[in-house]
Amino acid sequence: MADGQQNYFDPLVLARLSNLYLRARWVVEGVISGIHRSRARGFSVEFEEHREYSPGDELRRVDWKALGKFDRYFIKEYEDETNLRAYLLLDSSASMDYASNGITKFAYGCTLTASLAYLILKQQDAAGLVTFSNRVESFVPPKAKRGYLMEMLRALEASRPSGETKVGKILYEIAGQMKRRGLVVLVSDLLDDPEEILRGLRLFRLKGNDVIVFHLLDPAELDLPFDGNILFEDLEQAGLEVTADPRAIRGIYRKVVEEFTQHLRSECHGDSIDYQLLTTSTPLDHALVSYLSWRG
Amino acid sequence: MSLFFLHPAYLYALFAASLPLLIHLLNRRRLKRVRFPAVRFILLSQRRISRSHRLRHWIVLALRTFAVCLLVLLLSRPVFQTGAGLFAGGGPLSVVVLLDNSLSMKWSKEDEEGFVRAKEATRRLFSSLREGDRGAVIPTTHAGSGPWRLKADREVLIRDLEGIKIAGGTADFSLALKQAYALLREPAGQKEIWLITDMGLTGWDGFSLSQLEQYDPLIPLKILKVGEPSRLPNATLKEIKFESQGVGVGMPIHLQAQLVNFSDQEIKDLLVVLNLEGKNQEQKLVNLPAEAELAVSFQLSLNRPGAYSGHLELRKAGLAGNPTAYFTLEAQDKLRALIVDGDPGISLVQSETFFLARALNPAGEKDSSLFLPTVVIPEALNTIDFDPYQALIFCNVPVISDRLLPKLRDYLARGGGILFFVGDRVQMEDYNRKLFLSSPSILPARMSGKKESAGAAGETIDKLDAGHPALQGIKEPILQQSLRSTRVQGYLLTEPDGSSALLSLSNGAPLLLEKKVGSGRVLFFATAADRDWSDLPLKTVYLPLVQSLASYLAGGRRGTADAGLPVGNSKTISFPPSFVGRSLRVVRPDQTETEVSLKAEGGKAIAVITENDLTGIYGLFLPDAAGGGVPTPQLYAVNSPFLESRLKRIDDNGLRTKLSPIRAEIIPLKSLDEGGKSWDLSFSLLLLLMVTLAAEGWLAQRSNE
Repeated sequence: MADGQQNYFDPLVLARLSNLYLRARWVVEGVISGIHRSRARGFSVEFEEHREYSPGDELRRVDWKALGKFDRYFIKEYEDETNLRAYLLLDSSASMDYASNGITKFAYGCTLTASLAYLILKQQDAAGLVTFSNRVESFVPPKAKRGYLMEMLRALEASRPSGETKVGKILYEIAGQMKRRGLVVLVSDLLDDPEEILRGLRLFRLKGNDVIVFHLLDPAELDLPFDGNILFEDLEQAGLEVTADPRAIRGIYRKVVEEFTQHLRSECHGDSIDYQLLTTSTPLDHALVSYLSWRG
Repeated sequence: MSLFFLHPAYLYALFAASLPLLIHLLNRRRLKRVRFPAVRFILLSQRRISRSHRLRHWIVLALRTFAVCLLVLLLSRPVFQTGAGLFAGGGPLSVVVLLDNSLSMKWSKEDEEGFVRAKEATRRLFSSLREGDRGAVIPTTHAGSGPWRLKADREVLIRDLEGIKIAGGTADFSLALKQAYALLREPAGQKEIWLITDMGLTGWDGFSLSQLEQYDPLIPLKILKVGEPSRLPNATLKEIKFESQGVGVGMPIHLQAQLVNFSDQEIKDLLVVLNLEGKNQEQKLVNLPAEAELAVSFQLSLNRPGAYSGHLELRKAGLAGNPTAYFTLEAQDKLRALIVDGDPGISLVQSETFFLARALNPAGEKDSSLFLPTVVIPEALNTIDFDPYQALIFCNVPVISDRLLPKLRDYLARGGGILFFVGDRVQMEDYNRKLFLSSPSILPARMSGKKESAGAAGETIDKLDAGHPALQGIKEPILQQSLRSTRVQGYLLTEPDGSSALLSLSNGAPLLLEKKVGSGRVLFFATAADRDWSDLPLKTVYLPLVQSLASYLAGGRRGTADAGLPVGNSKTISFPPSFVGRSLRVVRPDQTETEVSLKAEGGKAIAVITENDLTGIYGLFLPDAAGGGVPTPQLYAVNSPFLESRLKRIDDNGLRTKLSPIRAEIIPLKSLDEGGKSWDLSFSLLLLLMVTLAAEGWLAQRSNE
């Protein structure tokens, strides 16, 4: 990834993304003012309304000027402006190192992750990065610094796809360690036990996080476009291989993959998790724009 | 019904039917390796592939194989035919008809001779031939007597057919089929072999496909079955045995006929007739048990020397099986032997020649033996004419008179035979001087001394020239064993003049020597003819030994009784070497004649008569130098193998098994009357091929969905 930086910041992609707002469905804790409104009321930034004093309210929040004018006790209410803390989780297992059309899932995932990071940081929100396989490979804690993007990109550049996918386990682990709520963006091929994955995602949701899942697959994984008798060797599990005639099983295979993605989609929908299936042949900007447009 | 092909060579391409399977297997072997992340989905997919999907896959493979087969069959131009009618359509036909003319074809049906029906069927087959077709007919009993050729002219074929007669022998189906395949090696549009037979088991017993050397299983073999299994009384003469030793004038000849009943029912009142020289001699009425054999004995007496022909005949209405067995006899006049007793005893038993005379004529009656011995004393020799005697036997004669010596020389010069037995009275000096040292010498050895041992001890007879014609009468091991057990206590020591010993003692001393003098021959026995010097006269071997020696001296002729040889076998006859180059005229049973030239072989003139294809009596005549015919005493009989009379048939499946992998279609003769139809299956196959390909395409597409 010597020229990774240039790739991640494709001008065309960035030009389109710069006009979009990433709005979290749920306001997370934060202090940044602006477009992200917190439902938690604070006093730090912007006045919103008065309300009458009631016993128990802090005296420091009493508006003494209003007492002078109206001879009644009012309490000042402020609308908090919060920072979005986004956790970008990128799958770096060996199965991501597959390409049937020139771009591996991992390369595509890196571009997507970098683009999102750029977007989030440009909005002055905090973005963090986690790459993982069956363990956490690298962790860049979320920060809102403008120059923080370079640090994230270096972490991405240093990553190499290897190891076995354990998405469910890793999600569980990360969710357990998160102190504050935020946005969790998962970029993975999800080639793991779907129930484990969903369990991990649900844990994020239970902790009040907003979750976006980019399910990234190669077009060949969807269509199995091979001919002749083929010995398929698994990219992750050594010794796991199977001989098959793709023409004979293609129909069934498509159905199996469709069921798998459909199951994830419906379960995510039920848990208010955004799920988006992407292939490495989908233009990156198109994928982001269509997703973010849909997300509103 | 039959299926055959106009271009059967294409059928070899049926091997291509394995191509789809081979491609399938090759594809399985030629695996492409792909590293893939979603192997778990492939595993899941394979588990979910339904049984019907797998079945579809195999059906597609089967359809592809079937399609290749259909294509090959289409190219081979299959024709389906019902009935026995000849093929009608597609290319010139070459057909070889193998006509079973074995003897069993005679009794295929009660009311009609099977062979007649077989010939009629062959005639109809040839009549069905069209322009450009060719045919040949080969009789199964003479398949080796070719050369056979395919002929296009139907009239010539019919003439060939008419020339085939029923034979007395067994069909040689191996040779006949071999000839047929050899004929059909020439290219032709279509080829067929028809075998018209009664399916007699005997002919097929010896059949083996390996004898064919080469055959083409693609040529259809149609077997037209003649006749139906019948329950006719089925019996024949299995063999004729003669129990007499030699055949002489006035001697009783015991003849035993072995009858065999092949049927599962007893044959009652079967008449067995003995015929000699065209006249019935004797007949017997017998009941022949079911599936059993029975011996019937006859006795004959011949009143003149020379050749006789005869036969035994079974007579019974409706009897199936060869009823006749031929035989020949060659009767010798009695062999007259003059025995000179040099030591006549007071009683007959004590005389020197008692045992010898009894050995030559055991019963002592005039007509009971082939030999007629006359015993005289030495003094009578001067007045006796030796000409009537074929052998002179001297037993312990002390001296040879001066008058006798020239008579003996003259007798030997005219082909006579003399046997000398010695004894204690023999004066060796006299014998040596007159018979050995004087010229021409008569004795094969000079006597050099006498050896006698007391008691039972003595020498045994150790060496025996079993191949010598003088000892042919003691060929049997039991007789030779008896000879070896003989104890010789007294004998004369001899110094042979180079002659080899026919018999020797255990110490190496010669016991029996031979010398040829002119046309005659002399045998010298170095011991006595009676019990004085040995126990030989008490041994079993004595009688056959003495008779064998006497026969040899008389020229080796003892008369013969011959039950003949099986039809088809060759007969070898020998003559003196001076006959080499001359021709032997053979008169066959049907009175046709052939000539066989005599060739030198083993110091003799040999004639080999191979054309013994008819049963009956064959006569041999040797024309003399002037060109006239001088009948020789040579007759011989030719008989059918008794198993050829067995009407048992081979069953259809058994025959098919024997012929496998040749595809044989067995058709009843009546199918020929019913005719038949034939269909070219090409169009049907083409349609089927198209349907198959369409089905394969549809299924293959579904499998890939």
